[in-house]
Amino acid sequence: MAQTNPPFLTGVPELLVLRMLSGREMYGYEIVKAMRLVTREAIGFGEGVVYPVLHALEEGGALKARRKSVNGRERVYYAVTTKGKRRLEHLSDEWKRVSLGVNSALNGANGNPEHA
Amino acid sequence: MPDKFESLRLELLRSGVSPVYVERTIFELADHYADLESAALSAGLGADEAARAASAAIGNERAIAAAILAHPELLSFSTRHPRVAQCLHSAATIGSLPGLPLMFCIEHRPELARWGAAVSVAATLMGSVLAMLNWLIVLPF
Repeated sequence: MAQTNPPFLTGVPELLVLRMLSGREMYGYEIVKAMRLVTREAIGFGEGVVYPVLHALEEGGALKARRKSVNGRERVYYAVTTKGKRRLEHLSDEWKRVSLGVNSALNGANGNPEHA
Repeated sequence: MPDKFESLRLELLRSGVSPVYVERTIFELADHYADLESAALSAGLGADEAARAASAAIGNERAIAAAILAHPELLSFSTRHPRVAQCLHSAATIGSLPGLPLMFCIEHRPELARWGAAVSVAATLMGSVLAMLNWLIVLPF
């Protein structure tokens, strides 16, 4: 039976944020910089939209935030929780499954639907 | 710097986003903007160009607002559950009614103290006058 794929459409920012934070805690600007670097700037977005994603993940218990003063500037640092790690695993599996399917379709492994 | 995002703050509050998240978002956006601006200045841009580059990188305020509103969990309780909030508000108002006289007394302590003192002095004077009259009346007998 076919599975539904809501994360394919809505889970990408979540997935990337959780992946960036899986190594160490970071603040918003650092997260965006890391995202741009690892995705080779393949994903374009206004950087301000990262904050709703962070706040929603925190609200859902996937992240925890703390204010930290560094060089006289107060910043909000985010870290992944145990629940966030599980969510990252789930989203990663979903993404791999979906991308495998899309790649399979692009590579024509199952034949051209026009000839079906 | 937070003034830069004042219109976004007002729009979010008007849209029912939790004030806690609004304040935090504005704080983080202002911080992010400052980082972008200093990065642009370090890259050799002039002040105006750096400000323009930072604004462009942080994105359109409407897009940010739309992204926030797409997360219902970031809305305030009264926006998410208006009927429940209304009921709770009414219950709290009714529940606080018996406490209102006490609250009034606490709030107007100095005036009540003065009034109490005045009443005590007046009662003492009146009592003294009445006692004296009584004594004068009683004395001939």
